[in-house]
Amino acid sequence: MSCDDNKDARTKDRDRRRSLPVVDKSVAPAKGAAPADGGNGLWRSQRPWRSIDERDRQGAMPGAANEFPAGTMDVDDNVSRRGFMQLLSVSTAVATVGAACQKPNEKIVPFVRRPEEVTPGNPLHFATAYALEGYGSGLLVESHEGRPTKIEGNPAHPQTIGATTAIEQALILGLYDDDRAKQLRQGVTPIAWRSLLGQINANNAKLAENRGAGLRFLTAPTTSPLLLDLRRRILERFPQAKFVSYSSVADDGAVDGARMAFGKPMVPRHRLGSADVILSLDSDFLAEGPEQTRLSREFAARREPSPRMSRLYVVEPAVTVTGAMADHRLRMQGTEVGSFVAGLCSVLASRGLEKLAPLASLSHGERKWDMKWLVALAGDLERHRGSSLVIAGCRQPPAVHALAAALNAALGNVGVTVEYGAPLTPDPLSGPAPLAALAQDIAAGAVDTLVITAANPVYTAPADFKFAKLLERVPNSIYFGLNEDETAAACKVMVPAAHALETWGDVRATDGTVSIIQPLIAPLWGGIQEAELYAAFIGEGDVGANKLLRRYWQGQFKGGEFDAHWERWLADGIVPDTGVAAEGGVAVDGAALAQTVAPLLTRTKSGMEIAFVVDPKLYDGRFANNAWLQELPHPITKLTWDNAAMLSETTAKALGIETGDIVEVTYRDRHVDAPAMIVPGHVDDTVTLPLGYGRTGVGVGGVAKDVGFNAGALRTSDNPWYDRGATVAKTGRRFKFAITQDHWTMSPDGRVIPPPAVEGPIEEVLKRDSKFHEEIEVRRGPLPTIHEPVDYSKQAYKWAMSIDLNKCTGCSACVVACVSENNINVVGKENVWRGREMQWIRVDRYFSGNDDSLSMITQPLMCVHCETAPCEYVCPVNATVHSDEGLNEMVYNRCIGTRYCSNNCPYKVRRFNYLNYIADYTAVRELGMNPDVTVRTRGIMEKCTYCVQRIERKRISTRIEGRTIADGELETACQQSCPTRAIVFGSLNDASSKVSQQHADPRRYDLLHEIGTRPRTAYLARVRNPNPELHVPDAHGAGQEHGKGEHE
Amino acid sequence: MGPLFRPRHNTLALISLFVVAAGAAGVPAGLMVYARTPYARGMQDPIEQPVQFDHRHHTRDEGIDCRYCHNTVDKSPAAGIPATQLCLNCHSQVWNKSPILEPVRQSFIQNKPMEWRRVYKVPEFVYFNHSIHVNKGVGCVSCHGRVDQMAAVEKATPLTMSWCLECHRRPEANLRPVEEVVNMDWKPDGDPVAVGRELAAKNDVHTRTSCTTCHR
Repeated sequence: MSCDDNKDARTKDRDRRRSLPVVDKSVAPAKGAAPADGGNGLWRSQRPWRSIDERDRQGAMPGAANEFPAGTMDVDDNVSRRGFMQLLSVSTAVATVGAACQKPNEKIVPFVRRPEEVTPGNPLHFATAYALEGYGSGLLVESHEGRPTKIEGNPAHPQTIGATTAIEQALILGLYDDDRAKQLRQGVTPIAWRSLLGQINANNAKLAENRGAGLRFLTAPTTSPLLLDLRRRILERFPQAKFVSYSSVADDGAVDGARMAFGKPMVPRHRLGSADVILSLDSDFLAEGPEQTRLSREFAARREPSPRMSRLYVVEPAVTVTGAMADHRLRMQGTEVGSFVAGLCSVLASRGLEKLAPLASLSHGERKWDMKWLVALAGDLERHRGSSLVIAGCRQPPAVHALAAALNAALGNVGVTVEYGAPLTPDPLSGPAPLAALAQDIAAGAVDTLVITAANPVYTAPADFKFAKLLERVPNSIYFGLNEDETAAACKVMVPAAHALETWGDVRATDGTVSIIQPLIAPLWGGIQEAELYAAFIGEGDVGANKLLRRYWQGQFKGGEFDAHWERWLADGIVPDTGVAAEGGVAVDGAALAQTVAPLLTRTKSGMEIAFVVDPKLYDGRFANNAWLQELPHPITKLTWDNAAMLSETTAKALGIETGDIVEVTYRDRHVDAPAMIVPGHVDDTVTLPLGYGRTGVGVGGVAKDVGFNAGALRTSDNPWYDRGATVAKTGRRFKFAITQDHWTMSPDGRVIPPPAVEGPIEEVLKRDSKFHEEIEVRRGPLPTIHEPVDYSKQAYKWAMSIDLNKCTGCSACVVACVSENNINVVGKENVWRGREMQWIRVDRYFSGNDDSLSMITQPLMCVHCETAPCEYVCPVNATVHSDEGLNEMVYNRCIGTRYCSNNCPYKVRRFNYLNYIADYTAVRELGMNPDVTVRTRGIMEKCTYCVQRIERKRISTRIEGRTIADGELETACQQSCPTRAIVFGSLNDASSKVSQQHADPRRYDLLHEIGTRPRTAYLARVRNPNPELHVPDAHGAGQEHGKGEHE
Repeated sequence: MGPLFRPRHNTLALISLFVVAAGAAGVPAGLMVYARTPYARGMQDPIEQPVQFDHRHHTRDEGIDCRYCHNTVDKSPAAGIPATQLCLNCHSQVWNKSPILEPVRQSFIQNKPMEWRRVYKVPEFVYFNHSIHVNKGVGCVSCHGRVDQMAAVEKATPLTMSWCLECHRRPEANLRPVEEVVNMDWKPDGDPVAVGRELAAKNDVHTRTSCTTCHR
C-alpha cells in the first residue's frame, strides 16, 4: 500500500466516523445556526465546550490529537552521556554487590499487649466529627492498626448522612502534614507545656486583680458545649474578660438579616426535600456552608425526572457549583442582588402577596436585569407557595437576607422549606464587627493577655485592621494553631494545636445535634488541645481534654449508667436528643423592615465591582498546605495550584486582558498583582478574587508558600465581600496557569469532541418518543461486531457503575476520596502544567450557551472498564488484562511503562508515573497510606480499578460467611463520598441491584458508544426543568433563554 | 621472528569458540536453575529467633492448637504473631524463671515489643489473605510444612506465583475438612482426588486466578 492509499484510508475512516449520528450533532456550529432539532425550542443542542479557547476554535485544538498533553514527555533533567555512563557503571556495581549479600533480615514486631478490638490486618472505623465555622460534620474514620487512613461520612449524622466534602476527605493529609507546628515556643525558646502552664497560672493571679479586664480570647466560632462551658467558667473567674469569635468567612449576613426581619438574631435552616422551586440569591448552597452535604442530597433527590422535579433559579456573579446546576441562571453583580430581590418583592406584592405590600415600594434602582426573567420567577414562586424557597448567600449583606426571610414568610415557606432557630452559640456574629471592637481595645492598650485560637487572623483579618501591627501592642499574646503561620510569627507564644483527628471535644450540627469528637491517634507532635488551653485559665490545664470532656458530659447526663451511654455516643457519633428545635411563630413586620432596608438598598458608589469568594478548595487559606486540595482542579475553572482574578469575557476584552495576563487590581489605595482569567458566565464589570492563597509567612509550609496571590490584602472590614470602585490594569507581564480543562481530551483525531451528555427539559424526557430519547437511543444498545461478546452472566458478579449526571454537581469530593483511598500521588504545579496529573477521576465539565444563558454539565470520568478494552490489546507484557467479572485490571508489577495502553485508551483515563513522586514522602506521611493498595513508583501506569481492594476484602469476608455480596453492601470510595449519591456501583448479574436499574434507565447512555468498547460505566443524561415562560421556540438560539437587554 | 599463530592455536580457537557458545547458553540457564534452588528461594534455612522458640515442643508435645497463638488466622489477612502478653499467659506460671525467656519477660516489663525474624514473605504487591484459605479448608501444613517437626522454623514452600497458581488452578489436592486445618497429620480417607472434589463442593471453594485476586 502506498502512502497515498494510507492517507485515503485515514480520510475515509474519519469521514465514516463523522457520519455517525452522535458526532453529527457535535459539528453543528455553536452560534447563529439553525437548531439541530428542527425548531423544537426546548431542546438544547449547541456544541458544548470546555474552555473559551476551544469554543472559538472551529477545528481541533492544537495538540489535542496527541497521546498526552503538550509538555508531558519533556525531560527536564540534563544528564550528559558521560554522567549517564558513570551512573550506569555504579548502579551495576552496586546491584552486583547487593545481589551477592545476604537477604535483608526483616522483622515482625507484634504488640506487647494487643488491644481487644484490634485485629492486625483488619481496619476499624471510629465515629468522630470535624468542626468548620463552629458546626460539626459527622465522620467515620478508617484506622489500620491505629493509623487513620481514610475519612467517610457518618450515615447517622444529620448533616453528613454518610457523605463528605472534598475538604473533609483531605483532612487525612492535613493530619500527616510534616509542616505542622511541632514545638511549643516562647519567642524562639522552646518551652514545655508544664512551664507554660506555670506562667499562665502566675499571669492569672495578676489578671484576677482587676477581674480579668485585660484578658481577651479571639476564638473561631464554636458551638462546642464543652468549650462554651469552659468559657462560662473563665468568665466566672474573670468577669471583665471578653471572648470574641472571628472567621473571615462568617455568615453574619444571615444572622443580622434575621434580626432585621424578625427582631432577633436567628439562623436559617434549610430543607430542600419539600422545595419545588428554589431561588438562590448568590448562595452556593450545594458546595458551601455547614449544611452543604445534606442539602446536596436533598436537592439531588428532587432532581429525579418526574413531574415532581424541582426547579432551581440562581442569581450570582461568577459561576458556582450551584449556579452550574441551575435551570435558570442570571448573572448579576453582587451589589445588584439587593435591588433584584427588592424588585422581586414588589412584583410578588402586585401578584397578591399582601404580606409583601409594605415592601412593594422599595426602590430597586435602575433595572439592570431581564424583567421577563424576574416576572417568570415571581410567577413560579407564587404558584408554589408553601413549597418554594429563597436562599441568600453568605456574601450578601443583611438587607438581602432580611428580604429573603420576608419572601419566605410571605410565601408560606417558613416551617416547610426553611425554619429559623436561635443561634447555637452565645456570639452569633463572628465577622469584622466583633473583631473591630477587639482591635479598638488593643489599640487603646486595654488588652494585656490575648489568646488566639481563631484560624490565622493575621492573614485573614481585613487589611484595614493591620492586625499584625496591632498584636505588637499586646504584652502576652498566645497563638494556638496548627501551623507556624503568619499569626504565629506575630505572637509571643506559639502553642502547636492537635489536629482535629487527634482531639477530644464536642460540636453541634446546624440542627443542634451533638457529636463527640474522639481522637484517632495520639498527637503526632505533642499538640495541645483547645479545651486544655482554655482550662489553663481556670487552673485545670493539666487535667487533659478527655477528662474535661467526660466530666462535663457526666455533669449534663441525667439518669442511668453514664459509662454505657458514653460508649454508645462515641460509637454512634451522635448524642441522641440533643437537637435544638427551630422557633415557631416567627413573624415579619413588613413596614418596619421596609424602613430599615430602604436606605441600605440605595446604591451610592460607582465603578468596577470587586468581589471576594471563599475558595472551594483552600477555604479561607487554612487548607493551603494540603497538596491534595491544591492539586484538585477547581470545580468550575479547572485551575490547580493557583487562584486567579476572574473576569467576564466582555470586560476582559474592554480592558484588553487575556487569560494569563498579570493585572494590577487596585482598591482603596491597596493593590495586588494577580493573574487574570476569563471565566464563562461571569458577570461583566466585576472582578472576582478567591481568598486563601498568597501565603508568604516565614513558617508557612512548603506546599502553601507563594502559591497564588493574597486577595485578602484588599479586603476591608466595611465591605468584606463586595464593593465598587476597583480598577484592573494590565501590567504587561504574563503568568502560566496549570489548568487541567484541556487535558485528556476524549478525541480520536483531535477534533472538538461530541457532547458527552444530552440535556433536555423535563417535558421532553417524560414524553417517551421525544427528541431526547432519540438522542439517547443512538448512544446505547448493541453495535454490530465480529467478536462474540463474552458471556459474564455465569459469573458471581458482573461489576458495573452508573453515574447520574442529573445529580452530579461537580463538587469533586469523589476526586479527593479516590486520591486518599488509592494512594494517588501529587505531582505539583509544574507537572500539572505538563499534563502529568495523577488523579484517577477527572471531572470534565462542558459549557454551552453564551454568557447570559450559560449552562454547564459536569461529568466525572474514570476508567469505564470497557468489555472490549482497547488498552488490553496493545500491552506487550499483559500488564492490563480482563478479569472474569469484567474488571479491566492493571497489574503494576508487570507494567514496564510503554504507555501504549494510554495511547490506545479512547477515554484518556490512564495515568502514568513520570517521576518517582513517593521519594519525597516523609515517614509520617507514609502512615496515612492505604495498606490495601500498592504504592506505585516511577514508570508505572495506573488507573481506576473500581476500588478492587474493597471488592476483594468484601468478597473474602462474605465468602467466609458463606454468602454473596449484597447490593449496596460494597461501595467504591467515590461512591461513598458522593453527597448526592450520583455514583452507583454493583453487579449487573443481580437484576434487582440499583446499578442494574440505572443501566436500564431511559436516560442511560454510553460514552463514545459508537466505537464499540462496551463500557461498564453508564451515564444517565442530565435533564433540565426550565420554566416554559423563559423559553421561546425561536429559530436563533435553539431554546436559549432570553438574554440581557430583553426587558419587558 | 616466527609466525604469530601456530597450528595449536587452531584448537585453542575452537575451544574458546565453544566456551563462548556454552557460556552464552549456560549462564542464563545456570541462573535460571539457580533461581529454582531452595537456596535462592530461601528455603531449608532454619531462621534463628531472638528467643529459641521451639514449635516442636509447643505443638507436638503440649498439643497447643496453632490458633491459640496465631489467633487472627481465620479472621484477618495476617495470621498474627502473638503479643508478648499471650506468651506470658502460660509463662508467668511455667518456666517463669527460665533464662531463655528473659527477653520475653523484659518485653512485657519494659513494654517493648519482641522483634521476631520473618520467615515467610510475599512481595509488597501481593495481597495474601490467611482467613479465606483457612476457612475454605487449606491446612497450615500445605504452605508451612511440618512446623511441628521444626526446631527453628524454615520456609517450606517456594511462594512463587507459579506455585500459588498451581493450587489456585487445581485446589483439590490441598483441601481438607475445615475442622482439620491445623492437623499436621491429616490424610485423605480414600482417593485423594475424589475426596478433594467432594471437599471443594462442601467447603464452597471457588479459587480465583484473576490478577487482582492478589495484585491490587
